[in-house]
Amino acid sequence: MRKNVWRVLPGALLAMVAMLLLAGPVGAARDAAATTVTIWTDADRKAAVDKIASAWGTARGVNVVVVQKDFGRIRDDLKTVQPETAPDVIVGAHDWTGDLAASGLVLPLNPRKAIRDKFPQYTLDAFSYGTAVKKLYGAPVVVENIGLVVNTRLAKVPTSFANLQQQALAFKKKRAGNIAIAVQQGANGDAYHMYPFFSGLCGYVFGKNKVGNLDASDIGLRAPAFLRNTTLIDQWNRLGLVNAKVDDGAASNAFLSGKAAFWLTGPWNADRITKAKIPFRVVQVPAIKCKSVPFLGSQGFMATKFARTHGVESAAKDLVGDYMMRADSQLALSRANGRFPANTDAAKRVTNPVLKQFGAAGVGGVPMPNIPQMGSVWSDLGAAWVKSTRGSGAIKARTAFSTAARNIANKIG
Amino acid sequence: MSTPTAPDAPPPRRRVRAWELPARAVAVASGTVGFAIKIAFLSVVNAIAFWGAFELARQGTWAALAVLLLATAAIDVVYLTPRRLFPLKFLIPGTVFLLAFQIAPIVYNVNIAFTNWSTAHIGTKTEAIAAIQRNSLAEAPDGGQYVMRPARAEDGTVVLILFDEESEQGFVGSREGLEEAPEGSVRLDENFEIASAPAGYTLVRPDELLALDRQLADYIIPVDGISAIRAEGFDTALELQPTLRYDRGSDTFTRIEDGTVFRDNELGSYVASRGEELEPGWKTGVGLRNFSAVLNDPLVRDPFVRVFIWTFAFATLTVLFSFALGLFLAIVLDKPGMRFQRLYRSLLVIPYAIPGFLSVLVWAGLLNDDFGVVNNAFGLSVPWLFDPDWAKVSIIIVSTWLTFPYFFLVSMGALQSIPGELIEAAKVDGGGRTQIFRRVTLPLLLVAVAPLLIASFAFNFNNFGNIYFLTGGGPPAEDQSVAGATDILITYTYKIAFESGKGQDYGLASAVSIFIFFIVAAISAVAFWRSKSLENLA
Repeated sequence: MRKNVWRVLPGALLAMVAMLLLAGPVGAARDAAATTVTIWTDADRKAAVDKIASAWGTARGVNVVVVQKDFGRIRDDLKTVQPETAPDVIVGAHDWTGDLAASGLVLPLNPRKAIRDKFPQYTLDAFSYGTAVKKLYGAPVVVENIGLVVNTRLAKVPTSFANLQQQALAFKKKRAGNIAIAVQQGANGDAYHMYPFFSGLCGYVFGKNKVGNLDASDIGLRAPAFLRNTTLIDQWNRLGLVNAKVDDGAASNAFLSGKAAFWLTGPWNADRITKAKIPFRVVQVPAIKCKSVPFLGSQGFMATKFARTHGVESAAKDLVGDYMMRADSQLALSRANGRFPANTDAAKRVTNPVLKQFGAAGVGGVPMPNIPQMGSVWSDLGAAWVKSTRGSGAIKARTAFSTAARNIANKIG
Repeated sequence: MSTPTAPDAPPPRRRVRAWELPARAVAVASGTVGFAIKIAFLSVVNAIAFWGAFELARQGTWAALAVLLLATAAIDVVYLTPRRLFPLKFLIPGTVFLLAFQIAPIVYNVNIAFTNWSTAHIGTKTEAIAAIQRNSLAEAPDGGQYVMRPARAEDGTVVLILFDEESEQGFVGSREGLEEAPEGSVRLDENFEIASAPAGYTLVRPDELLALDRQLADYIIPVDGISAIRAEGFDTALELQPTLRYDRGSDTFTRIEDGTVFRDNELGSYVASRGEELEPGWKTGVGLRNFSAVLNDPLVRDPFVRVFIWTFAFATLTVLFSFALGLFLAIVLDKPGMRFQRLYRSLLVIPYAIPGFLSVLVWAGLLNDDFGVVNNAFGLSVPWLFDPDWAKVSIIIVSTWLTFPYFFLVSMGALQSIPGELIEAAKVDGGGRTQIFRRVTLPLLLVAVAPLLIASFAFNFNNFGNIYFLTGGGPPAEDQSVAGATDILITYTYKIAFESGKGQDYGLASAVSIFIFFIVAAISAVAFWRSKSLENLA
């Protein structure tokens, strides 16, 4: 028995040492946490966020930790993250606002009027949410939208929608394999890229309630004015002006290889067009029955509820609601990933002609609805377009869109 | 022994047999080296447990803490006591991993199924109350907006120095209220930040701000009535007023404007009598609600039969075709003396070696109706992905392509394990080729392969990736329901839980996945029971 004790003793001692070694850094990390602000960002923005946030950190004496995450995961991981490792500030898309604010995960911001006045109202609206009181939950940094990219060697910048249609169809007839207007859909549709046509036919997704928040019970897919115009969709399908079978890959291949003169796409493809040495101009789709505006997307920063529990609430709000809304920060971030800045002073200083053209193509655009119910809309609105523009097997657009409206209403409940 | 150069050469090494390995491992582990390794491992286990205990104690989850401590103590005792608890030393690691990676997730999943965990029901009730209160603060009408900087009074208490840019008036705000500062005592610098404080106050240095963070976040300067000036960040303050009032006694929120009362509805939300709901709510138990939603919600219920039949057909046909193709190729390539046999075999395994989702994405491009290689190369115009029926065909083709190499490999091995004498005997008895295959080879093969067929079926029943990446459940089905034509139960669950309604619904998703578990378990149980009859052959 005595021998056993001697065998156990060194083991127990070693275990103790190991425990202390492991517990040491854990304790130390916790002490440091009070002066650390953790930011979750995506790969595209990592370098710029690193630079700008650390400049802020140096000025404020804050230790800034920038963690890179897959953009799409930032929103969902925020719901399941452990408080210890949770971020104080995140990079986010404006259409997450409703979901995150309704879940109580992000803090409302109250920037001074002097700061707010530097932003177009729609960018602030994009990050605002609330059924009773509408509050701002994020700082808009960049805005993006799609535009009609015209290959100026193959076509002229269209003067009207009729002109666009005539040019596109003439181009399509020239050679087999040509596409009239390259706009991506695919088997499950793409409501985002089809939105300029949708708004051009006077469609909208959700109406607004009296405090200016989106009203999920007012579904614009079944608005009478829009449904009357859907006969045009049937006509486009017959003529082959838009074709649901054109997906992401087919659309870009066609335009980049000269088999399409018109492409509806965003600034994320600007580099590819330039590399293919295609002379181009970006414009808004000409008005059809109403103005054909695109969806506007905005990305920015939000302060999370964890900033409060970590004791860095004021610091996070200072970074998000003040520092990141300044023109200099915005310009640097907009350059880093090739998007248009939200701050109007920064916007005036944009020199990149392509960004300016995309900016002009977005004038009057509609921010993608940021209420959680939007999840119900994407698939059904996309499906309605597919069903009505898939060529010979297409059904009447009126039926397709009415069905989609009914489905959406059912899902929202 | 006779050679002089090696007078005491060891006896030739005996080959270690497989069943001796555990005993050998134990022998190695009983020496001093083994003891050191053991102590090192135990130290790590103890250190992790200690860290875990620390975290659990901090969170106040005492039951889990007790389990953790008891388990760690038990592990230490078992491994430090020589001999007596010998069998446990082998059982414990397996049990620990089984608990950690199988049982715990299942328990967790079942637990979630009984909660309302979803968008707007993420945190605790206390967090929800705090969030509702802070989200209900509205800018006071004509309320002031100030440039702000914290300062300390002579007694060390923190006050806020405020400057109104419009009236160019300075203020000192404390927890008692707002006081005008003497004219000219509060000035801004060129960065529009406060540069001076009235006499008797010292501005807080920038590097001290962070230490005041918690105080600043909750700093309230009462103004008349319900409004208050609050700090926003480090250099702004503004007047806000609540639009909702919380009453702790009755646990209700009251809207100040019209007196509407919001009560706890026992389902994780404050709701007014007219159905209006405050956001956020909180995560709480809701009993069998998620399960009854699966059975009663028309969104889930209506297309269920159609989706279930397709899921079953998809899994069955995929397994059937890939097994048939794999077996056929295994038999064809089994011919002795074939040239390039190894090359053929390696080539056939390629679809298996490439990550599945990549192949699926490539197939999606190949099968594009108007622009895909398949239609263009063969001059076809098959609506591979746009027609509900053809999309099903595409799915099965692609799944078969991805799965057949597996059955090719398995069949190749199994064929070689069938004793040649049996085939010879069958030939002597005058059996023809097909007869031998049907009566001898196939039954013997199935003894070995049947469990794998069942496993493959269960896997494909939940094969999310293939469907999601090839068709995304599309094209839209002709019955106009939410489920697409090629949605299987698991992708449909995903659509209901994450892409519809009001954001994400983890509770509902867990409930549906429990239903799916029972379906798969039932089918597998029946299949295993049936395949028992095959074993009687062997």
